[in-house]
Amino acid sequence: MEIIIYGVINSVTLALMALGFTLVYGVSRLPNFAHGAFYVLAGYICWMLLNRLGLPYFLAGLIGLAVVGGVGAAMYHFILERIRGMAISEIIASYAIGLAILEGLRWGGLKGGTFILQPFVEGSVDILGVSVDYQRILVVVLGAALVGLLWLFVNQTKLGLALKGMAQDERAAMTLGIDSDKMAVVAMALGSVFAGVAALILLPMGSIVVEAGYHVLIMAVAVCIVGGLGSWTGAVLAAFVIGFAQILTVAYIGAHWQVVVALVAIIITLILRPSGIFGKQKELEERV
Amino acid sequence: MHKFMKMFFALLAVLALVVPAGGVLAAKPIVLGAPLSTAFLYGWDAERAIKLAVDEINAAGGVNVGGTKRPFKVEVIDTRDLEAGVPVSEALLAVEKLILQKKANFIVGGPVRSEAALAAMALLSKHKMISILSTGVLTPKYHKIVGKNYDKFKYLFRISGEVVWMLKGELVPALIGVGKQYNLSSMYIMVQDVAWARALGKILGGIMKKKGWKVVGHQVYPTGTTDYSMGLVDAKKKKAQVLLLAMDMPESAVLLKQWFDMKVPALPFGTILAAAEQPGFWKATGGKGQFAIASVVNAGNAPSNATPWTMKFVNAYKKKYGLEPEGYGTASSYMAVYVLKDAIERAGTLNSDKVVTALEKTDMMGVYGRIRFDPKTHQIIPANDPKKGAVGTIFQWQKGKRVVVYPPSIATGKILLPPWMQK
Repeated sequence: MEIIIYGVINSVTLALMALGFTLVYGVSRLPNFAHGAFYVLAGYICWMLLNRLGLPYFLAGLIGLAVVGGVGAAMYHFILERIRGMAISEIIASYAIGLAILEGLRWGGLKGGTFILQPFVEGSVDILGVSVDYQRILVVVLGAALVGLLWLFVNQTKLGLALKGMAQDERAAMTLGIDSDKMAVVAMALGSVFAGVAALILLPMGSIVVEAGYHVLIMAVAVCIVGGLGSWTGAVLAAFVIGFAQILTVAYIGAHWQVVVALVAIIITLILRPSGIFGKQKELEERV
Repeated sequence: MHKFMKMFFALLAVLALVVPAGGVLAAKPIVLGAPLSTAFLYGWDAERAIKLAVDEINAAGGVNVGGTKRPFKVEVIDTRDLEAGVPVSEALLAVEKLILQKKANFIVGGPVRSEAALAAMALLSKHKMISILSTGVLTPKYHKIVGKNYDKFKYLFRISGEVVWMLKGELVPALIGVGKQYNLSSMYIMVQDVAWARALGKILGGIMKKKGWKVVGHQVYPTGTTDYSMGLVDAKKKKAQVLLLAMDMPESAVLLKQWFDMKVPALPFGTILAAAEQPGFWKATGGKGQFAIASVVNAGNAPSNATPWTMKFVNAYKKKYGLEPEGYGTASSYMAVYVLKDAIERAGTLNSDKVVTALEKTDMMGVYGRIRFDPKTHQIIPANDPKKGAVGTIFQWQKGKRVVVYPPSIATGKILLPPWMQK
């Protein structure tokens, strides 16, 4: 039973980490390697506002999200827009920005294990004999709500449909009057906010450390490659595949092998189906 | 004339006050190179402690080198050796840079990770560079190598602890003690995937089995792990009574939070447990650190009355940095500077061979007891009585305070069980 319960929790955790990354890639074909840095930045801003200025949790979180959203949009508008389409340059530039943010935070004093956001709800409950803390249950609930909201936004709002159009066929979308760069800025801001939301939901279970930025980036990339770059459904499905594989590994092989799972999943996917479960990028080559 | 004489004597008095201090400041400083992983507790606390000792010594006039007072100067380079994925070569470059570029006369502090410190031994010896390890590095291999090849490695000393003594002299007796006190006899081992922690978990598990304990589980976690639920669920299922923890990563705080939230009925007995060592741990976890036990290796890294110097050091650190000494590496790095000063003054020179001889004859009462080095291996001589040797400290978080529970000679309280373990 613990495998099922913690498998679901771990899978939703991974999905939360990856949603922002896949959203940005899906719309603008831009691999945002600063994704992990936005995750840590949002958590750190929230922590600072809570502990230094004494702001309420909700307001601190909201400001944190607004800041990372703004930084993400600015990063795209001022830097990445100029190199759009040059994949290697996009990766190098976004990774460099992420590195600067993370190491800048470390330089600025984000060291040690004492930067901790308190959980929204304290305590734990026994589910069919398995002890689970409320925060983890909340992760599943909020994760599912977030995926639902994203689906509604993409399918029911004008902006969401424009983003969807861009993701499906950028040129066709442009012929219909959709501003490609503007949509990419929106996607980047939204993706960064998603990284921030993931941080605010997940960080109360851990601590705010610089290394989390690199970890989240690796996991987001792994989930997106396995699910198919740019596919939101694929990302969620891949999160469950990797999430359960990790928990099974911990249960039957050993905890120290769990980091290998995501990397092995990438290798297997690239060998068997380079586009991932729902990817369309290389479908033609694969058929050939 | 009278007025002139007054002014003349006043000027003389001012010069008498200023010239000696100016003389010390003008004298060529003795450079202490400190290769430390400054983003991590065992790096930054060592840096702070070294600087505190240097400030105190310089304020008191400096180091008397054969009749000339010279100040200490600290050069710190970040080795990054505690960071995940950073190769050992980074630490070696830092050490080399301190020797060649910063012209360090002595090395104190690190490298911090055992693997990096072992790799740096040959480099330090090549330059006949005296090094006093004072943080991180718990592997017994370090002083065994010195002992096996004394002529080559005689420049290397370690003033902090090592894992064999920690196990036999502190952790095993402390575990047996708490076992007898509360009738506990089964443990679940959870260690970080680094050399020292894996070895410690394996050896301690083996020893405790021989002592009649049951080891019901053993998990090795990659550096940076942020979810320990499965291990904790397993420990609960297998009815473990003690969680034996060995982790130097900050994420170990997550484990303790999860343990508290899940009310796992097993006492979290940390050996090295970086996150729990810090004074800020209590506030950061909102009190969920209650009952966590950790070793800070040397007394003075948490408040106690081990020696008259212990609280003097604790208060000086608190005054300068606004918090108590933060954990392993603090008291020992502070003492490394004082021990070096003492040896240089006795040797009357900075000559490596002569300072080595002086260091071998060190016998002083420090922050964590009597400080002497084994003349063959250059490892500090440990003891459970501060009058006989360097004493360690195992503490438990109780109501927001780090209460020393072992060794009994300096203990300020007893180990308590969490309410959900009390029958």
